[in-house]
Amino acid sequence: MPNSETSSLSGTVTKRDVRSAMWRHLITLQWSWNYERMQALGYLWSMLPILKKVYTDRNDLIQAMKRHLQFYNTNPQIGSPPIFGATVALESEKLGDAVDSLKVGLMGPFAGIGDTIQGVLIRPMIAVFAASLALAGSWIGSALMFLMGLVWCILMVPLFYLGYRRGIGFVDEVVGGGLIDRITEIATIFGVMVVGGFVPSIMTNLKTPLSFHKTVELAGKATTKTISLQDTLDKIFPSLFPVLVVALAYWLMKRFKLSPVWVLLILVVLAFITSAIGLF
Amino acid sequence: MHSYAIWVPIVLALLAYVGIVFNLGPGLWIQEALVMGLITGWMVGDVKLGLTIGATLTLMSLGMWTYGGATIPDFMTGAILGTAIGALGGGETAGLAVAIPASILMTQLDVLGRAVTTIFIHAADKYAERGDLRGITWMHLLGQLPWGLTRAIPVFLAVWLGAGPIQSVIHSMPQWFMNGMHVTGLMLPALGFALLLNQLPIRKHWPFLVIGFILFAYLKVSILGIALAALAASFLYIRLKGSEADA
Repeated sequence: MPNSETSSLSGTVTKRDVRSAMWRHLITLQWSWNYERMQALGYLWSMLPILKKVYTDRNDLIQAMKRHLQFYNTNPQIGSPPIFGATVALESEKLGDAVDSLKVGLMGPFAGIGDTIQGVLIRPMIAVFAASLALAGSWIGSALMFLMGLVWCILMVPLFYLGYRRGIGFVDEVVGGGLIDRITEIATIFGVMVVGGFVPSIMTNLKTPLSFHKTVELAGKATTKTISLQDTLDKIFPSLFPVLVVALAYWLMKRFKLSPVWVLLILVVLAFITSAIGLF
Repeated sequence: MHSYAIWVPIVLALLAYVGIVFNLGPGLWIQEALVMGLITGWMVGDVKLGLTIGATLTLMSLGMWTYGGATIPDFMTGAILGTAIGALGGGETAGLAVAIPASILMTQLDVLGRAVTTIFIHAADKYAERGDLRGITWMHLLGQLPWGLTRAIPVFLAVWLGAGPIQSVIHSMPQWFMNGMHVTGLMLPALGFALLLNQLPIRKHWPFLVIGFILFAYLKVSILGIALAALAASFLYIRLKGSEADA
């Protein structure tokens, strides 16, 4: 916890300054995101309320601003708030060198953790569920998606204060304790199993209209029966076509390292061929 | 109806601008295809179409995330354009025929937006050198312009100028093309699932994938039921693994 009375020479950082920095970071961190230094300018602008107070000497302030204009990029919602919180605490104590190493050291691992939680574990599950609701004609699906985004935004506040209050210590606690690993494994198994159910449920309309005729002897009379291919398949292997298409797409990516756009093009071609020959 | 009143493309362009900037920060998910599809559908008077297009694009996007600032297809713009154009008469097939290529072509403009914003951080360097805090503030806040405009301008032009021409192209499409687009829509969720499966440790946890499939396909358990079973299975797995390590 930063002591606000460390030095009488430098201005004191108030709770209001900290709050102002937090809101700037929460709302605008990525507004000036660019290829060269990514989130750097947003980080500097968010830190300005603190820097202004701490560095009363103009040249010190300029040096501090230049430090924060160095490359910075991490997961903005789960990764950056604790890093930013911790560095706000450190900057308030004029510990600029520690700030730089903390940023550089944590942005990589936190990007990995945050992107995995959001992009691989949570978003796909919510998205499939929301999309299935929307396909059934319900706007609840869209609302669910929006609410999920809102949850991440709100979480940024406690994550910031976690970093601010514990300084650097929280990092060992979170990363070292194995807690993240356990949560990740639970979420992964959950995700894998739900996806197993989602594939046949979402792609349930991928059915073949093909049927074949069979002549049978019924009480001495020859009658023609029409047998639907899909009905026959469903008795043996339900959702065979969805499984085959997903397996094909998976295999193309895994085996040939094809990009999503290439796989997309292949699927489009496949869709046109199969619809032209009447399979679907 | 072959085109929209001028306020429709203007509002949709604003929607696209706000969508991408608020996704940058605070990270609201209004740029999600499902949300944009609903809003656009509501505006042009076809909510069901917006939801269908949004859902199809969302299912394509399952494993996609802007890891470290990577460019992914712009499903937001795809959902807006697909819904707005489809609502002019072509429906879901026409909407998807617009939405999917638009999402992919827009990646070029995403790259442009991310590159142009570099100008602002260079200007910020100069202001920092002079100790000009106001200049830094402006450079940061204006950094949203390339992001927002690379979405807003194409949306405006496509809906305002393009609605008529695109519509007449769609009307002259042969039946085999319409059929093909329909099957494409049915198949595309496979792309999202495949991307997702590529990121999950399937080799290690494949039994859970099979159980999930059996629960739905053979036993007709609802998705919520599968989710509960999955929750129980994942906790059991961790518990049993833990006790194994203790022994």
